[in-house]
Amino acid sequence: MNRHTLFGGAYALAFFSFLFGPLVIMATTAFNSSRFPRVAPWECFTTGWFGELFGNARLMEGLMNSVIIGVGVVALAVPIGLAGALALSELPAKLRSMLYTVLILPILIPGVVLGISTIVLWGQITRGTGAGFLYNGYFLTIVGQITFVSAYAMLVFIARLQRFDATQTEAALDLGATPGQAFRKILLPFMAPAIGSAAFITLLASFENYNTTVFTVLSESTFTTALASKVRHGTDPSLSALAVIIITLTLVGALTNEAYQRRKEAESGGRASRSPLYANPVTRALTHPGIVFAILVTVIGGISYAGSQYDSSVCEAAVLQEKLDRQEELRAEQRARIEAQEAEQQSTLPKSNSAFGGAFGGLGGGTPAPEAPAAPKPESPSAFGGAFGGITAPKPEE
Amino acid sequence: MKQLKLAYTTLLAKHGMGAALFIAIAVTLWVVVFITLPQLSMLNYSFRFNLPVDQLGTEADHYTLEQYRSFFFNADGSFNTLDITILIRTLIAALIVTVIDVLICYPIAYILAHGAKGVAARLMVIGLIIPYWINEILRAFAFRVLFGSTGVVNTWGMQMGLWDAPVDFIRADVALYCGLAYAYILLMVFPMYNAIEALDHTQVEAARDMGSPLWRVHWRVVLPMAKPGIVSGATMVFMLTAGALAAPQILGGPSSLWFTQLIYQWFNESSNWPRGSAYAVVLLVTCISFVLLMMRVFKVSVGEIGK
Repeated sequence: MNRHTLFGGAYALAFFSFLFGPLVIMATTAFNSSRFPRVAPWECFTTGWFGELFGNARLMEGLMNSVIIGVGVVALAVPIGLAGALALSELPAKLRSMLYTVLILPILIPGVVLGISTIVLWGQITRGTGAGFLYNGYFLTIVGQITFVSAYAMLVFIARLQRFDATQTEAALDLGATPGQAFRKILLPFMAPAIGSAAFITLLASFENYNTTVFTVLSESTFTTALASKVRHGTDPSLSALAVIIITLTLVGALTNEAYQRRKEAESGGRASRSPLYANPVTRALTHPGIVFAILVTVIGGISYAGSQYDSSVCEAAVLQEKLDRQEELRAEQRARIEAQEAEQQSTLPKSNSAFGGAFGGLGGGTPAPEAPAAPKPESPSAFGGAFGGITAPKPEE
Repeated sequence: MKQLKLAYTTLLAKHGMGAALFIAIAVTLWVVVFITLPQLSMLNYSFRFNLPVDQLGTEADHYTLEQYRSFFFNADGSFNTLDITILIRTLIAALIVTVIDVLICYPIAYILAHGAKGVAARLMVIGLIIPYWINEILRAFAFRVLFGSTGVVNTWGMQMGLWDAPVDFIRADVALYCGLAYAYILLMVFPMYNAIEALDHTQVEAARDMGSPLWRVHWRVVLPMAKPGIVSGATMVFMLTAGALAAPQILGGPSSLWFTQLIYQWFNESSNWPRGSAYAVVLLVTCISFVLLMMRVFKVSVGEIGK
């Protein structure tokens, strides 16, 4: 048995390394000053990519659009999902499974297909009725996303409804409540936590969606589509900086939620007084979700402030200087090689005009020098120099 | 119809006029306007010519099979092997990704359901969910950082002397497969976990006590129980992988197109909407028939998906 536990632990470790490894590495690249997102070679610790991220106007505009669309989607998808879950709970078995299949289908249909079908339908409606105002990126994206996002909300509500005790509603009706009152006072309050989590999930789904949105958003852009076009057209570490921000937000949310769940469980289970963590007034206060959240926010705020004050320009200048030195070194090597080559040619071709070749060779090695600081690529001067050397050497033969 | 009316009266009696009307209207709107009409409209569009706006509704605007014909055949009548190959390759790749996900998720689902307890189990659940909160684009980007020519995998591989020159993992589609398998792990683990958790652990212990080796315990006791979960997860992963657009765009090699990228090109680069619609219908029909076939093979019903 012990061997199996060991194997299980090792497997779980490998599995979670696969889950978190890429994220950790991506997050690390956000602090490397190299223009290309990479860990090695490590150049300088920098926080400059965060500034570059916030300076990206297109992403920030997309963020604004995403918020507008997200609010619209949540406002519509949550009620629709609730209606779907309630409708399913009352249908006879056969009809129920049929409706369930239809409603769950949008999750399975490729997002590309949903996006296309949405713009095709509303394009036709616009042409048919002349209602041009309907044909804009915001409206179409909201409509396109609702189609499948509502199904996510519905799944959350179905899970919650399964735990609903219908006798509560019956009791309310027996005691003289109208069906409407029973709905508002019994069922809706019972569904309240699910409404919260459904709203959260729909917001996240709307925010993250790419496949549908890239078609329906037309000429506008959301955060995710702007991000995708940035990734496709060349990458730089400011995207890693974005990942750091999102991962941090996620961790704060997860830890706060965990503190909240633990506390609720401990209190409802009557274990609150028994657990030493909740018995001691100090630790009890410290594990309060609000306090946990406040501590995390303070720590992160402090780190961000310290980071924003950090100046990596000295180190970056040093790295640049190092590169220039290395380049100079390569060039010297190059020159030495060319000279050696010429000397060899002179000895093998004694009739050639050696003064001419020597002057060209010297020029070839020397000309790239004034441009060099702008282009710190060690390979390019050597190729250049090599080409010159190659041209100059055969010339005297003519 | 009669049953619908009956269901409506039940709702009316239970929740009152306002709630019943709300439910009826919202569900009708969802099913008709958001789900059915767009699909029909796309289907209709795929049977038309790509005409400029001023010719719409004129005699030139009639139904045609031209768009579908051009998927199967070239202009000279030979098979359009290019597009057909892309479709088949997309399906095979999606299948491979699905199988990878089943294989790597099954042990984790089993450990989560029967091995891990208390804090460890909670941490595992949180650990599974957190990567899923990171934007899809950024997850793909992470794999590009990982597998780039100066990425971590190449650097370490060369340092350890496994290979000499940087390997182009992007061109070899390794990055794409990894990225896709990574993206949908959660959708595979949770249905599996739900199915396996329903298994009484004493059954596993009984089988062990009777002297059954570990592989047979899984083959005869755990797997039959996990089957609906596996099929449900596999269906979701397969459909989402076949319909993925972002990951192939970011991680795909320059020579291998995903079928969704083809559709994207017809819409956004060639502005040929009817052709794009026809290709979308081809993708949808192929994927759904494939999934239904698989469900028939494994004897599982659609109603079990998403549970």
